[in-house]
Amino acid sequence: MTKKKSLLNDQRFIALIIAILLMVIYFVFSKEFRKYSSILSMLDFSYYDMLMGFGVTFPLITAGVDLSIGTGMVCYALVGGTLVRNNNIPVAVAMLICILMGVAIGLLNGILIGVMGLAPFIATLSTCMITRGIGSMCNATPWPTLQQPGGWFHSIFKLTFGSGRGAFKFPIGFFLMLVLMCVMEFVLNHTKFGRYTIAIGSNREATALSGINVKFYHVMVYVVCGFFTGLAAIAYAAVTPTVQPGTGAGLEMDAIGGVFVGGVSATGGYGSIIGTFIGVMIICLLKTGLPYIGLQANWQQIITGVVLIVAVLIDIIKKRRAAAV
Amino acid sequence: MKRRVVATLMSAAMVAALLAGCGSSSASSSTSAASSSSSAASTSSSAAASTSSSSTEAVASTSTASETASSSSSAAQSSDDATKQFDGLKAKEAYNFPMLVKSFQSTYWDAAQQGMKKAVDELGVTYDCQGPNSESDIADQVNMLNSAISSKPVGIGLAACDTTSVLDALKTCASEGIPVVAFDTGVADAPDGSIVCTVATDNAQAGSVAADNMYDAIKDEIKNADGQVRIGEVNQDATALNIQQRGLGFINEMIKLIKADGKTVSVEGNEFYVNNAEGADTGDTDVVIEVAVPAQTTVELCSTEAQTILSKEDTIAIFGSNQTAAEGVLAADANLSVLGSDVSNGDVIGVGFDAGSTIKAAVQSGQLYGAVTQSPLMMGYYAIYALTAAANGQELQDVPTAGYWYNADNIDDPEIAPNLYD
Repeated sequence: MTKKKSLLNDQRFIALIIAILLMVIYFVFSKEFRKYSSILSMLDFSYYDMLMGFGVTFPLITAGVDLSIGTGMVCYALVGGTLVRNNNIPVAVAMLICILMGVAIGLLNGILIGVMGLAPFIATLSTCMITRGIGSMCNATPWPTLQQPGGWFHSIFKLTFGSGRGAFKFPIGFFLMLVLMCVMEFVLNHTKFGRYTIAIGSNREATALSGINVKFYHVMVYVVCGFFTGLAAIAYAAVTPTVQPGTGAGLEMDAIGGVFVGGVSATGGYGSIIGTFIGVMIICLLKTGLPYIGLQANWQQIITGVVLIVAVLIDIIKKRRAAAV
Repeated sequence: MKRRVVATLMSAAMVAALLAGCGSSSASSSTSAASSSSSAASTSSSAAASTSSSSTEAVASTSTASETASSSSSAAQSSDDATKQFDGLKAKEAYNFPMLVKSFQSTYWDAAQQGMKKAVDELGVTYDCQGPNSESDIADQVNMLNSAISSKPVGIGLAACDTTSVLDALKTCASEGIPVVAFDTGVADAPDGSIVCTVATDNAQAGSVAADNMYDAIKDEIKNADGQVRIGEVNQDATALNIQQRGLGFINEMIKLIKADGKTVSVEGNEFYVNNAEGADTGDTDVVIEVAVPAQTTVELCSTEAQTILSKEDTIAIFGSNQTAAEGVLAADANLSVLGSDVSNGDVIGVGFDAGSTIKAAVQSGQLYGAVTQSPLMMGYYAIYALTAAANGQELQDVPTAGYWYNADNIDDPEIAPNLYD
């Protein structure tokens, strides 16, 4: 092994440069983007992608995937919101229900994949449909707004001082994400759970042969992913005026795409939460920033697709080089 | 190496399949709840306007509809001609009609039933309302339709969850001579002789109602403006016929109003709307109508598009042309706080479409200047009238129903309130 890796060999560093480059381009070409409110909105809509990204990093490292996070997130937000509205349960309890549902679906995914041996794509595609179905049983549901009773949960992500046009808003959620990032980076690299996750991704057989309870940790990977999806549901409810049943399909792709941009290996065995953070940030910058520089919808999608291809290509080229050495 | 390439290719294929599969379905369902109805109306009023399903023709034909509608700013005007055919209508017998709604999930369908009740009381007929648990239970509805046909009714009212799935059943109706009235949602490719009348929203007219009312609030601002002013429109897509008609109905009416006051106006943004707008000027104009269409039909992306427009200093008004787009406008305003009703004070006039508790609350608080609602109530009402007339053996023409303006003042009016679902 080489002693010190060059920064340019680290995809996270490249991703960070891309992110900064995007910011600079937006700042130069759009005076609207320079407004504080634009940055606030971009951050508002990045939290749930970010939380889903943190969660889904783990299955992706095991060379699996979780496709149920998008519809799952919307489903939990719908169920939680419906309970608040129709059954008058406190918002805190609804938040807990979101998380518990996330964990439950995660557990189901984990058992299907880790114990029963279903392919992750098929298992989570099924739960994607199931959660979408459950969500469709609910009506379109708004969670309480900041002004309504129970609206305090908005302050988890954004502190509002004052009201009306003069109000000052502080994106506390961004710092929360930074803290979470550090915690999960530690979990991934310095705990049993994290190390075994990487080991399963590198070589499940070998990991099992070395006496590790692979089934348990494989299940746990999806439970953690589900837990974060539950958190994402709360962040989603905080920014979406009305959670609509039947939506959510496709939202997982923003998170999964972000994780790949952040350098998780498409074949498993490597990944980092810091990379995920930067990768999801890039996806959010592409998603919310491109309209500011006047790009029409079709171009936004094309560019996002190209960025994804480039990110995965870098991964492949890096590996080829490593293999050649 | 090979394996890696294969894996990459496969995952790309998966993603593509997923986007294709989930994407298309979400396009149709994302408008859901509210819009279930409204998205539905898409196909419908095209069918109402012309039997051809080609979008260009349909747009052309509806734009004429909007002209007739806009000649008077009142909402009910456009459907006047069509409803004349029901003047003095009496049921020859005490008919009973099976009415198939899309679901009982949304209060939208409660409103439709209120209209049906009103009509059966007036005509002395009866109806049985049936519907699946949710609007996506397409097979259930088809089963209900088939069992309704087997009881050989004198006519069937149908708001199809899925317009292609009902085609076989409609063929049976045609061969057995059971007249079908499509309400809320038209069936564009219905077999000849099956659907005798379509009762659905005239989306071009509904869009023009939004323009008329918005213009009242901003005309002084346009008249006295020093430089260029900007009017925004957020359409959730440029492909669904109902959104196209509504978006263009708004743009064309706005162009006409602005030009009538001697100002120049251009349209920029999404190509479809720019190319199909009628009578717009080019170059440096007094007013710019900027049309934004998000990459996907989510509130989040609608919000981003709305935010780019609302962030511009010269923006004076914005229109969100369905529930998703209007909520996107509201979400964008969460950080900007520029919407209001006092234009001279720098407020931006926001106008929405459809209902839902978020939009209703925003209209009530004055954050939105007002919104346009479709009328499920009138659709249910005229569906019963059309069925009765058909059972009497009368030839029918389609009935376009109007979009109605509502704001904080009339939101509780008995004619408006039932149409505003939660």
